[in-house]
Amino acid sequence: MAKTVLVVDDSASLRQVVSIALKGAGYDVLEASDGKDALSKLAGQQRVHLIISDVNMPNMDGIALVKAVKQLAQYKFTPIIMLTTESQEEKKREGQAAGAKAWVVKPFQPAQMLAAVSKLLPA
Amino acid sequence: MNLDQALQTYIEESRALLADMEAHLLRLEREPAEPDTLNALFRAAHTIKGSAGLFGLDPIVSFTHGVENLLDCLRAGEMLLSGEIVELLLRARDHMSLLIATVAEAGEAAGADLRAQGDALERALRETLGGDVAGGVPAQAPDPVIASGGGQIDGDVWQISLAFGGEVLRNGLDPISFIRHLATIGEIVAFSTHCPDMPPLAEMDPESCYLACEIGLKTGADKRAIEDVFDFMRDDCELHIMPPASLLPASLERITHARGPEDRVGDILVEAEVVTAREVDAALARQEAAGAGEARPALGEVLIHQGDAPKAAVDAALAKQREIREHKVAEARFIRVHADKLDALINLVGELVIAGASAALIARRANDAALVEASSVVSRLVEEIRDNALTLRMVEIGETFNRFHRVVRDVARELGKDIALEIRGAETELDKTVVEKIADPLTHLVRNAMDHGIEPAETRIARGKPARGTVLLSAHHDSGSIVIEVQDDGGGLNRERILRKAVERGLVAPSATLSDPEVFNLIFEPGFSTAEQVTNLSGRGVGMDVVRRNIEALRGSVEIASREGTGTTIRIRLPLTLAIIDGFLTRVGAASFVIPLDMVLECLELTAQSTAAARGRAYIDLRGEVLPFIRLREHFQQDGDAARRENVVVVHCAGRKAGLVVDELLGEHQTVIKPLGKLFQNIQGISGSTILGSGEVALILDVPSLLQRTISQEASALAALTDGAR
Amino acid sequence: MTIEFEILEDGRRMRVRGPLTIYGAAQARDRFVQAMRLGAEIEIDLSAVDELDTAGFQLLLALKQEGRRKGCDVRLVGHSRAVLEVIDLYHMAAELGDPLVIPAESGAPY
Repeated sequence: MAKTVLVVDDSASLRQVVSIALKGAGYDVLEASDGKDALSKLAGQQRVHLIISDVNMPNMDGIALVKAVKQLAQYKFTPIIMLTTESQEEKKREGQAAGAKAWVVKPFQPAQMLAAVSKLLPA
Repeated sequence: MNLDQALQTYIEESRALLADMEAHLLRLEREPAEPDTLNALFRAAHTIKGSAGLFGLDPIVSFTHGVENLLDCLRAGEMLLSGEIVELLLRARDHMSLLIATVAEAGEAAGADLRAQGDALERALRETLGGDVAGGVPAQAPDPVIASGGGQIDGDVWQISLAFGGEVLRNGLDPISFIRHLATIGEIVAFSTHCPDMPPLAEMDPESCYLACEIGLKTGADKRAIEDVFDFMRDDCELHIMPPASLLPASLERITHARGPEDRVGDILVEAEVVTAREVDAALARQEAAGAGEARPALGEVLIHQGDAPKAAVDAALAKQREIREHKVAEARFIRVHADKLDALINLVGELVIAGASAALIARRANDAALVEASSVVSRLVEEIRDNALTLRMVEIGETFNRFHRVVRDVARELGKDIALEIRGAETELDKTVVEKIADPLTHLVRNAMDHGIEPAETRIARGKPARGTVLLSAHHDSGSIVIEVQDDGGGLNRERILRKAVERGLVAPSATLSDPEVFNLIFEPGFSTAEQVTNLSGRGVGMDVVRRNIEALRGSVEIASREGTGTTIRIRLPLTLAIIDGFLTRVGAASFVIPLDMVLECLELTAQSTAAARGRAYIDLRGEVLPFIRLREHFQQDGDAARRENVVVVHCAGRKAGLVVDELLGEHQTVIKPLGKLFQNIQGISGSTILGSGEVALILDVPSLLQRTISQEASALAALTDGAR
Repeated sequence: MTIEFEILEDGRRMRVRGPLTIYGAAQARDRFVQAMRLGAEIEIDLSAVDELDTAGFQLLLALKQEGRRKGCDVRLVGHSRAVLEVIDLYHMAAELGDPLVIPAESGAPY
């Protein structure tokens, strides 16, 4: 059974490219455009095995999302990959402190994203 | 959904974001800045950049990076918004819009014309930021290790030891995933799992991790790549990676040949790629943690104990450290002095020698025994000072020799030959000015030995020699000179071929009988080349004749020895210093001339019979040998008649002999050379000057050039004579 | 999608059903502790475990270790494919693979 990855980013095109890459590698993908949208997806029927989330998003940003996920009984141990830029060391540390240990620096190539996902969740 | 569709999404999304940016920026012109507005602007730029990276639209990534940086500073309040900045941001937004439009039209971010405009804006953005925030193209994240399945399983077995931290499972980092990922960069050939610290079932925390693994991974990947697999766990696990034993020799090699200034064991090991910087940091932290009471373990001990580095590598690094430190200590005993200061000192000492000699002369004339005694003590001290001053300029030739490692490596590669360089006597000292001037001739000789000397591997094997050729550079002192040898174990010189060519070129008479050294020395004649194939390395351009001229200009000589099939040795003999000369003082009319003593063979009287026998030609019969001569009086256009008795000083250089005719022989004379003034620089046959104790100037003869002149003047006549004589 | 425990044959056998993962690890641990109080031998049937992660795997290790300490014979039986995959990955078939290392569906025991 394919593992499901939730991709959270306010850029539809980024979600699409990541989604194409992940599907190509055998994952199922759910998309959400911000933290709130992501929480509603997590409340849905399909079980999520890994979350990829941008740090900067309108409505609910990535850090707030990580903290919220850590409160969900069903998802508190789910691996989370944060998307940061290299100028956001501070945000990265904040995310790690909240429990999101993995990160990928933007801008990235699809292959870099796949390598990071593969370390946390083999297809 | 495919990538083209995703790109369309990107273009639409970017257009919407750019429209938002424009609206926000226009609002900033009218109203004070709201944090929300700045945040929205930042996010828009961030999103446009982030997605551009995914599509490989590097110009957009690079340009937007600058915009993003500026906006980040503004929203963090590190910079105040001004009308100019808003104006700049608007122009930058317009540029982004153009870049996106280009993508929409051409499907890619093209446009060299756009780039100039973009560069100007990027500069403006950077300047606004004060230039200290990284501008330009953002550093690309390092390429991830892309799994390539079985492709990389060739290689050696690395020992990976992993102790997982308690939090890994709660953080969503399941070791199972990392181990599966590890299997994509190599083959797991050994594995064992331990849980030494697991508490009893009732007391354990089932969400904590208690596991440790020992993994044998066969891979061609390097330590960094293996470490990268555990990137996300770095803070949550203890990781040690022991390189395979088969890599040890290469590691030791790297340690031994390390050239860096690092004298810390950790740095040496990182430099040699035995351990990673992360491992050193971890070991240092452990060292720190050892507490005040306990003995602090050495870093190397910690690394060995933790299984990061093999003991042999640590030992090698420690040895290297000692070597570097000793070198540093040795260096500390030296002071650096500008070469000009030394030259000035030596020049002064030279003057002192002359002034001392002058004082001694006056003392002798005054016939005052006490004064003579005192001045002789002064003279002796001055000579000691001179000798000491000269040694200050002495440097080891090793540094010059070491440069040839690279030359030999590069030239060998160029020629497709396997050639090793051996160096002996690197500690031999000689004057710095000589060292500087010998490098070029040596380079030529080494290239020549490699190109023409060492045979191709097949020929060597056929001759029963090792396939790998050797060039030996050596130096040693020999009675006041330094002897430098360039030796190869190649094919040696072909006497017949040299002779044939020399006859073809009219360098020797066809009937001439020459000894081996005489034949070999012909290769130093101008325009002589024995290689059947002229290669671009040493066949053209600077010839061996130039090499000889350069060496002779240093008052040196060069000779050649060769045995066909076994190799060639070129031996250069140079004075230890250019500042002092052992000379033979002569007089012609009112002028004094110094002839370098090592070039003087003998002195004899020029008798009337001997000149008569030459029937007016400028040669004499020296025990059956034809000796051309030159009258210095004529050469230097000295006034006055020839002395009643003339003397011939027989000089030799590079296997040739000639006579210099002078009026009077004044004997040996050690002297300090002073460079020629401008006035004398154009005089042929003079290489320098010196001042005699009497205050008189004596000119130092440039024997090689005089010899050349004498011989060329008489060459044709000599050839005729030789023909006639035989 | 949550873990369940079936007690069979007067508490001498227990069947774990569903995912044996970190989410149910605390609950599973408590059930295992209880089960071990019941007698000198216990058989855990893993045939209905459809997911096993490191937390679950570690729990099985702790269970065996506890059995040795308490002198209780803990037998793991009927390993599902999901269980065997993880045990193989950790190379712990010798410790956790009893009595059979071959899953039921892949053929007869030797």
